[in-house]
Amino acid sequence: MKPRAETLLTGALLLLLGWLVMVPAASVLVSGADVTALRRLLSGTAILTNTLLMGAATSLSAVAIGAALALVMARTDLPGRGMLEPLTLLPLYVTPLLTAIAWSWLGSPRGGLVNLVTQRLAGFSLIDLHGAAGVVFVASLAYAPVPFLLIAAGLRAMDPSLEDSARVHGASLRFAFAHVTLPLMLPSALGALVLVFVQTMGLFSIPAVLGVPGGFTVIATEIYRLLNTYPPRLGQAAAWGLVLLAITLLAVLLQNRLLAKRSFVTITGKAFRPRLIAMGRARWLLAGFVWLYIGLAVALPVATLIWASLVNFLTIDPALMAFDLRHFAYVLFTYPKALMAARNSLLLGVVTASLIVALSLGAGWVVVRRRNLGATAVEYLAMAPLAIPSIVLALGVLWTYAGLDLLPIYGTVAILLVAYLAHFMPFGVRALSGALRQLHPELEDAARVSGAGLLHTLRRVVWPLTRPTLAAVWTLVFVLTLQEVSASILLYTSRSVVLSVAMFDLWEAGTLNGLAALGVMQLAITFAALSLLARFRQRGVAA
Amino acid sequence: MTDAVRVEELVVTYGPVAAVDRVSFQVREAEHLTLLGPSGCGKTTTLRAVAGLERPSGGRIAIGGASVFDGARRIDVPPEARGLSMVFQSYAIWPHMSVAENVAFPFRARGVANSVARPAVARALALVDLAAYADRSATMLSGGQQQRVALARAIAFGTRLVLFDEPLSNLDAQLRLQMREELADLRRRLGFAAIYVTHDQDEAFSLSDRIVLMRGGRIEQQGTPSDLHAAPRTRFAAAFLGVRNIIDADIAHGHATLANGLLLPVRDDGPPGPAAIAFRPGAVVLGRGTPATIERVLFAGDQLQLLLRAGPVDVIAYARPQSGLEEGTTIMWHVAAGDCRVLRE
Repeated sequence: MKPRAETLLTGALLLLLGWLVMVPAASVLVSGADVTALRRLLSGTAILTNTLLMGAATSLSAVAIGAALALVMARTDLPGRGMLEPLTLLPLYVTPLLTAIAWSWLGSPRGGLVNLVTQRLAGFSLIDLHGAAGVVFVASLAYAPVPFLLIAAGLRAMDPSLEDSARVHGASLRFAFAHVTLPLMLPSALGALVLVFVQTMGLFSIPAVLGVPGGFTVIATEIYRLLNTYPPRLGQAAAWGLVLLAITLLAVLLQNRLLAKRSFVTITGKAFRPRLIAMGRARWLLAGFVWLYIGLAVALPVATLIWASLVNFLTIDPALMAFDLRHFAYVLFTYPKALMAARNSLLLGVVTASLIVALSLGAGWVVVRRRNLGATAVEYLAMAPLAIPSIVLALGVLWTYAGLDLLPIYGTVAILLVAYLAHFMPFGVRALSGALRQLHPELEDAARVSGAGLLHTLRRVVWPLTRPTLAAVWTLVFVLTLQEVSASILLYTSRSVVLSVAMFDLWEAGTLNGLAALGVMQLAITFAALSLLARFRQRGVAA
Repeated sequence: MTDAVRVEELVVTYGPVAAVDRVSFQVREAEHLTLLGPSGCGKTTTLRAVAGLERPSGGRIAIGGASVFDGARRIDVPPEARGLSMVFQSYAIWPHMSVAENVAFPFRARGVANSVARPAVARALALVDLAAYADRSATMLSGGQQQRVALARAIAFGTRLVLFDEPLSNLDAQLRLQMREELADLRRRLGFAAIYVTHDQDEAFSLSDRIVLMRGGRIEQQGTPSDLHAAPRTRFAAAFLGVRNIIDADIAHGHATLANGLLLPVRDDGPPGPAAIAFRPGAVVLGRGTPATIERVLFAGDQLQLLLRAGPVDVIAYARPQSGLEEGTTIMWHVAAGDCRVLRE
């Protein structure tokens, strides 16, 4: 039988995803599996406990902040909810690297601006963000929007009659909340916890900026150090990568076990209007909490960054401050890497986003519509990177291509593309499968019996009907690509520097104002892309 | 003459479950064949297998004499190359296209020149009374109008075979009757062959040249509407086709003996033994015969529906609304031998 186009598509995706995901994972497994090296690695060092501490503390406090924000935003009569919600998501669009750098300017024990002010006024230093506490503080702020989004979505999909029936049967508001709402929130909170845990386990930028100066080393910064010593110790780095991978896989398996035991059928796909709880005077307190979060996570760091990009040098003495654009001029015209980095980043952003959109349309379609063994395999492969920290992925990619003459992409931007594609694939496929589930399959059947082949149907029916989702995925992947540090930092070479790497380079060189200027430019590109998306969405609604 | 569709020994499985189990039937040129049955009987799966939207695990399907699926010869023609059209239960009108673009899609998908497509699209829209709506966005139409767009899209290209998957089930009762007539009229004028899936026996009776009654993935009985109406072969067929009285009985020598000892004459030359007799409520004649108690009287508009009880035997009968019958009273009833069928399966 001549294979149908559907079968060919599934097969092609299996090959491509297998190559993108399984090959790097397998090469970390092969190159890192050295028992004696692993034992030596793990004895007599605090790196593993540091990493676990960072992952656990960050994910717990990020979920606590995110859950509180979600409850306040979705279930109370908070003043200004409509405006506060998008502001709460802003930390997603500011790379953690910049947030960490801004906070280190504010809160380093000696030169921190906050401490300089308190020194002058009261004679003591107020805060010390160098070390574990600073890393966890900034990482929790940066990652809180993820649990916020997941838990708020869970709350909004919860049938309010579940709570109503508790009230009718004699439960007080407090009792109903504790015994009905909270337990029903658990799955989404647990999902968010594991997601943030996996992401922070491989986090490089924040511990590199705030942890290392305070003597707090984690696996990601150790992998970076091992690869940047001479000669690079790739084997040891891979062993650390394997340790990281083992931990994250364990966390995901544990989550699946916990969620498989209890089945919560609260999410019916219907959109409910959650009941808002009148908080009285306390709502102003809650609004204050939300504003405090936005201030600490975005407003203060970004304001610091903008100020630093314009001021002549970092000082708290108003008499010494002078403002001009010389740092922008330096970055654009004198610093050799900036333009190349910007070009590489934009190119990678556009290509990654476009390929992710195309691949997730295909993979999402196969996952939602085919539902056979091949489709299940496609789904697992596409979602697997969720359990692989991006620095581990990058290690695998590095190990795979460093000596591979067959595909000589090492040292080019293509090797970054390979890592980005795998890293952002779950996000795209999840978004597209969601959109495709909303699409009645008979819309496609009608095209097929009308004489359109599979590709024609995808292009003329599925593509136009999922365009809002595709546009959102494109924009977000573009933005996230510009921000990516953990994988890029291992894979770049002098010819393939990207913006985030250039910023880290400026940070290590101590060119602080130039770094601020580059950071401001990156934020400008990000928000230009987001506002284009917003305009596209408005037009889509009007049409 | 070749058949418009020939389905032989069709099997469709979902895992270990056979949704369609060795189903065979033919549709002649310009014939309207209905696949009738309760939900889950495999009728829609059969239709989708003919369209190529569902992959059978065995059997053969030929359309217009050309084999489009053959499990043994490993032939499986994709839906777009089977040269048919289809009206879907959800209408499946593409919301990002205008009415005319929806109807023109089969032409564009097959690469037909605009000069050919445009008059054909206009003709199809005129046939369903939507000529004035050509440039409307398809989402601005009512359910009934969307149904017409789906119909226009299915007939515009002029395929010799049109498949219908419960096309009227989402319309309200009045619109459903009207569309039923329009559909019958359209098919007579254009002369295409149709396979029509429904669970509504009235729809099946009024539209079809032939009915295939399905149950549990198999064909229960097939024949013309009047055959099926007059002579259901099995208890299931009788019950599904509206025969409300199905009563266990012993059959011997032209008589059925009911559980209450009552003897009813039947026309039957089969072997004697336990079986069932079946008759429609309308066949029950009141006023003479044997006595029964009126257990319940339900007012059903044009008629009264009576539940008669004679010992362990319950019988449903109809009476005129003005007949003044009351619950608890006794009434005489009988059924003519010609109206009473013997069911042995």
